[in-house]
Amino acid sequence: MYQFNSKYELKSLLRNGWIQLMTLLLLGLFLFAFYNGNEKVDKRKNDIQAAFNEVKESDQNMLILLDSVQRGMEVSASRWTIPTKPMAVGNYHPRVAAMNPGPLAFVATGQSDLFSHYIKPKASGDDMALNFTEISNPVQQLFGSFDLAFVIIYLLPLIIIAFTYNVLSSEKESGTLRLLASQPISMRSWVFQKMGIRLFWVVLMIGVVLILVSVIIPSGVNIVELLPVFGVTLGYIFFWFALAFAVNLWVGSSSKNAIALIGLWLVFVLLIPSVLNQMGNALYPMPSRTLMINEMRSAKAEATKKQDQILDNFLRDHPEYAINDPNQNRSFYHRYMASQQLVREELQPVVGRFEQQLQNQQQWISQLKWISPAIIVQQELNALAGSSTKDYENYRKQVTAFAESWRQHLLPFLYSNEPFSTDDYENLPEFQYQRLTSDTTLISIIALVFIALIGVILGFLKGVGSQSTEKFITQ
Amino acid sequence: MITTDNLTKSYGDTLVLDRLNLNIKAGELYCLLGANGAGKTTTINLLLGFIKPTSGNAFINGLAVSEDPKKTKKHLAYIPENLMLYPSLSAVENLDYFSGIGGTHLSKSQLEAFLDEAGLQKVAFHQRISTFSKGMRQKVGIALALAKNANVLLLDEPTSGLDPKASNEFGLLLQKLRNKGVATLMATHDLFRAKEIATHIGIMKSGQLRQEFLATDISLSDLEHAYLKTMDYKELAL
Repeated sequence: MYQFNSKYELKSLLRNGWIQLMTLLLLGLFLFAFYNGNEKVDKRKNDIQAAFNEVKESDQNMLILLDSVQRGMEVSASRWTIPTKPMAVGNYHPRVAAMNPGPLAFVATGQSDLFSHYIKPKASGDDMALNFTEISNPVQQLFGSFDLAFVIIYLLPLIIIAFTYNVLSSEKESGTLRLLASQPISMRSWVFQKMGIRLFWVVLMIGVVLILVSVIIPSGVNIVELLPVFGVTLGYIFFWFALAFAVNLWVGSSSKNAIALIGLWLVFVLLIPSVLNQMGNALYPMPSRTLMINEMRSAKAEATKKQDQILDNFLRDHPEYAINDPNQNRSFYHRYMASQQLVREELQPVVGRFEQQLQNQQQWISQLKWISPAIIVQQELNALAGSSTKDYENYRKQVTAFAESWRQHLLPFLYSNEPFSTDDYENLPEFQYQRLTSDTTLISIIALVFIALIGVILGFLKGVGSQSTEKFITQ
Repeated sequence: MITTDNLTKSYGDTLVLDRLNLNIKAGELYCLLGANGAGKTTTINLLLGFIKPTSGNAFINGLAVSEDPKKTKKHLAYIPENLMLYPSLSAVENLDYFSGIGGTHLSKSQLEAFLDEAGLQKVAFHQRISTFSKGMRQKVGIALALAKNANVLLLDEPTSGLDPKASNEFGLLLQKLRNKGVATLMATHDLFRAKEIATHIGIMKSGQLRQEFLATDISLSDLEHAYLKTMDYKELAL
């Protein structure tokens, strides 16, 4: 049966104008999503490159100034910006801490349009945490990003529904069902095979698009790197086909099937993710960001009042600075940097509360994501693209650590009252972003296939001799 | 070949087929006459295994339909009142598909030979079914019966809506199959065609087989009289 089903189903698909239109739409949507995602990645790369260029230019000026000062020449620059002062280097010539996009960044925008991709942490800056504030574009939030993840999660199921909602019912409505049912075949197997052939068609289309993309996209992504994306997509497609298989056997007429499948789409793609999100917010509400800023300001104001005392305590804790410094000059930055250390320690619980709640929310969604394949796919594609909440949290932690090493590199110059020189330039720390690798791809694919198998089993459980089946064939 | 043993079907309290006993042998063509709702199509649905009997049994070639409908379907061909095929496929492709999924693999020349034997014009072999008349589609149905080498043929009002020429051609095809030893059960309203092609004629009413005749033993006018009398159309029967 399979040989004839596949031969003539493919022939019918090729001769069916509606299916041809759907196929073209599918190809068009995928290609546009790839193009759109790639444009965003290019913009991100360009922004990061511009930041690096800016730093390069600023460094050249710094080196010229340093060279002039070291030669004893007069320089026309404000006193506090002359880079022999370590704090001038730390504040006016910061390094770029960039989160370079990975090879699959075009797949899912994820959190990338909400957070910054590069930060220049200053030695005395305490506002860096605020750079991670979500900057939401209301238009973007309303429509979402038209990236590959959007096409796969939201639009692909609709196309699959259009492909599959009437596999069995159309046979009844066109009058071929009775002739089919009079053949020595199992109707469930027949529907299963037809679904399988349409599944093959959709997978073939997506495979063709991925090959096209690996050839077209200039960023050099190769087909092997795309395989995990293909695997996750395949699992999701399998889930929707399995659902359509069960609905075809359990529900009935084409209109009822279509309504049932659209209803399931609403539940799995929109309702469950929204409800989980809302419940996450309700169970683990994020502390007020305004409150955090106020607490930061109060802590700073308190610290400023006690700067002299703080500096004394700091130097007591760091006697190496006092010993190596013959003149013991103490300026604003000596007091300020010492107090900043204290402010950071005092703010740790406030920042910690934020981090803990964010972690709780993520854990809540991670635990319950298995009830909606749409969430599984969204999280997996974000992880593969490197744009998940986890990725940005990882980036934030790396930037915070780098900011600390930047400060710690310059503090000995400050407290030892040592001037910064051209020789020291080479030793300035540089930020290197360490990308997370997704280790859940295989588990996600297995989970999707497992959920899909439930749909297939449900379909096969439909009793052929049941009264509804009798009615379906004979009425 | 086709046997029913007290075959009964009811839906709740409504009895739609009441203890039907038929025995149609090879080469016999049994026409079931009756008004709408007499139980003719229910009988065919039971023989096809589309519905399960409330009691009694249906047999095709000695095999109980309710026990293994897939096995019994291997031996039978079915032509409904309005045979619908895949409109985007040609006659040859439709024949290849329906015989193929049933397990009969045929070459292109064999398929064409069956269509030819069924009386379809050669020019139509590779035309899409969407351009076919009902009579042409019924011929593809006969070709399918030939292709499957079915020895049981079930027909549900196959000539309704056919013009006299097409109906006559269809009758000749059935006689051809009968001569090949095919046992045929045909539900119809067409008394004239029944008298012309059948070997046996039965009249049903309210799910019961009320009268049976050998076609050779009864004239068309007597058949008409018996039919109208059975249907309680006494004033017309006089």
